[in-house]
Amino acid sequence: MSGLGRIAGMMSGLAGAAVLALTAPAMAQSDVKGEITVWSWNVAATALKAVVPDFNKAYPNVKVTVEDLGNQPVYDRGLAGCSAGGINMPDVYSVENHESEVFWARFPDCFLDLKSLDAKEADLLAKFPKFKLAELTVGDKIYAMPWDSGPAVVFYRRDMYEAAGVDPAKIATWDDFIAAGKTVQAKAGADVKFLSFNSGGTSTTWFRILANQAGCAYFDETGETVTVSQPGCVKALETVKKISDAGLFMEGDWDGSLQAIKANRLASSVYGAWYEGSVRGNAPELSGKWGIFQLPAFEAGGNRAANIGGSSLAIPASSKNPQAALAFINFALGRPDSQITQLKASGLVPTLPDAIHDPYVQQPQPYWGGQKVWEVVLNTLQQIKPARGTQYFAEADNIADGILLAYLKGGSKSAKETLDEAAEQISAATGLPVAE
Amino acid sequence: MGTATRAGLRAPQTRGAPATVLSEAGAGWRRRRHALAPYWFLLPYLLVFAVFWCWPIIDSALLSLQNTRVNPWAWNLAINWRRLLVDRAFQEALKNTLIILAIQVPVMLTLATLLALALNSPLLKLRPIYRFAFFAPVVVSDVAYSVVFRLLFNGQFGAVNHGLAALGLAPIDWLHDPNAAMATIMVAVTWRWTGYNAIILLAGLQSIPRDLYEAAAIDGATPVDRFFRITLPLLKPIVVFCLVLSIIGTMQLFTEPWLITDRGGPGGATETLGTYLYKQGFVSLNFGYAAAIAYTIAAMAAVMAALNLMLTRGRKA
Repeated sequence: MSGLGRIAGMMSGLAGAAVLALTAPAMAQSDVKGEITVWSWNVAATALKAVVPDFNKAYPNVKVTVEDLGNQPVYDRGLAGCSAGGINMPDVYSVENHESEVFWARFPDCFLDLKSLDAKEADLLAKFPKFKLAELTVGDKIYAMPWDSGPAVVFYRRDMYEAAGVDPAKIATWDDFIAAGKTVQAKAGADVKFLSFNSGGTSTTWFRILANQAGCAYFDETGETVTVSQPGCVKALETVKKISDAGLFMEGDWDGSLQAIKANRLASSVYGAWYEGSVRGNAPELSGKWGIFQLPAFEAGGNRAANIGGSSLAIPASSKNPQAALAFINFALGRPDSQITQLKASGLVPTLPDAIHDPYVQQPQPYWGGQKVWEVVLNTLQQIKPARGTQYFAEADNIADGILLAYLKGGSKSAKETLDEAAEQISAATGLPVAE
Repeated sequence: MGTATRAGLRAPQTRGAPATVLSEAGAGWRRRRHALAPYWFLLPYLLVFAVFWCWPIIDSALLSLQNTRVNPWAWNLAINWRRLLVDRAFQEALKNTLIILAIQVPVMLTLATLLALALNSPLLKLRPIYRFAFFAPVVVSDVAYSVVFRLLFNGQFGAVNHGLAALGLAPIDWLHDPNAAMATIMVAVTWRWTGYNAIILLAGLQSIPRDLYEAAAIDGATPVDRFFRITLPLLKPIVVFCLVLSIIGTMQLFTEPWLITDRGGPGGATETLGTYLYKQGFVSLNFGYAAAIAYTIAAMAAVMAALNLMLTRGRKA
């Protein structure tokens, strides 16, 4: 089910340049003691487990238990715990950024403001890119620390592009990309599609990536108006439609797309960089055949960065050891070397921009044909525009899903009319006005 | 009403029986005490019933009258019910549910009736094995079977499309085409529940007295006559019973569209009232609106069930 897609979306890494000294709590590290439990999922849990040995060298008196509950159970049990007034919660809670705001809005007392735990916390949090903090901040409270992020890139089959005479370095715009797709498909034969639609629980993945690239989202940055019918979103939807009309998409959810990659039936994939680990783990035999490049722009020279997915760590208010939990979060997410540990362990994409200076990021990756993929990915971090999921994300996405799909499958309306309809329905469902 | 329907009511009747026996025992005060006795025995159940049934039922009614998207929740008698009237996503979910109801339920009950007749045939050998085989799908966990159906109906690699290809037919994108996705859900639900209904109908068939058929045969009635004049009329209460169960089941349909077509996809094409309720309550955390939807589903199921019962009774009278 869609869980897989979301899981992948969530995992990612951290990075960091930050200086550990800055994060050191006021008290001595050996004074921080106790047991803490961490709820997470799949490879994200694996990544956190990889950090624990180093953490215990610095904090020998804190015992960390990372529980891998699976992605959806973490959300469901967190919801149940907060609904019940904050019982049965762990000390460290993993939450996907775009889903997180519903917790802060409905249960403002269920999690701690990280800044209230340590005077120096604000300085550390300020090191993260703004787009990562947007969804974690309510007023002057910051409820979670950014963990990984999902800069979107194009993954592509070097051999298929080459056979068709397509040079990815010359793909500057989405129009170039579509032309390249037609050429590649014509050369590769009927079994091969240029792209996967990457549907899952929702068919909006493509739209949301391109909308973010164009600086548009369901809601504005303050979360007070519905902006899905703004020009950026219209441009994004028109572009997705062009790709669809060119016949470049295969229908495929998370599993279907990975199967197609393994079966040599997919020439490219546009997804968050956290997809790296999945492509590599799924089809190790294709080593050297895959590469990546930045998203094409809408116009030559335009923005080539967008984000899809990413998670954070929060501390429930019921934690008996909030200082130990904070120490763990700061250690695991606020330091570049911990972030690199997780990048290596699970392919979690670092969020701290300073992580780009780590030697590992600069290394060529054998699977990717010797390309320095992490440098390509992290270079886009600072260009990513903030987008608020808001507490109404799930609702808006569910509404947009059906309306957008009808348009892409050949409805008679224009992109603008389609998004006007979506905006109107999202407005009716949320009570927020449509932006002028 | 038919005997089989009454059999379905047997449980509550026997529950009342001990009271009758005891109350015949003695004097007034004793009688009263004895009349109370069954309620003491029932007390544990009644407590559980009050806490886990009555209270949630009342509480969800109150929830539906509150705005649960603000902190703290605020009374707003109309907010959720007004939204229900204008919410197009809800209307789509309702429409999808009714389409499944209108197509899948009659097809399933027809199949179940035919199956019951076949299972009832004296020509059939190894009857218990067949009975179990057709009943078995209900025993399988709905999650497990949904996952298997999802694999079978996979557009690229699924067994169903391989079968179509072997027959020289074009593949169908079962999970991503809106109409095909709907068909997939109906096939899955039919596979799971046809045998179950057939077993209930079979019990009904076996309760029809044989002498009716013998008498009809002596009078020269053909097998077709016997089916339409004897079997079907006497089976009607059972069919209605199955129909009511199926309607209630369809109104609550959740697992299949959630797991097989990935949360009511593609693009909400298989969104049912059940999945929409879940999304509102446990994904968007809007308990008030979810409660309003839940009440609407329950009310519609109750009305449809009542309508069915009234129609059949009316015709009989």
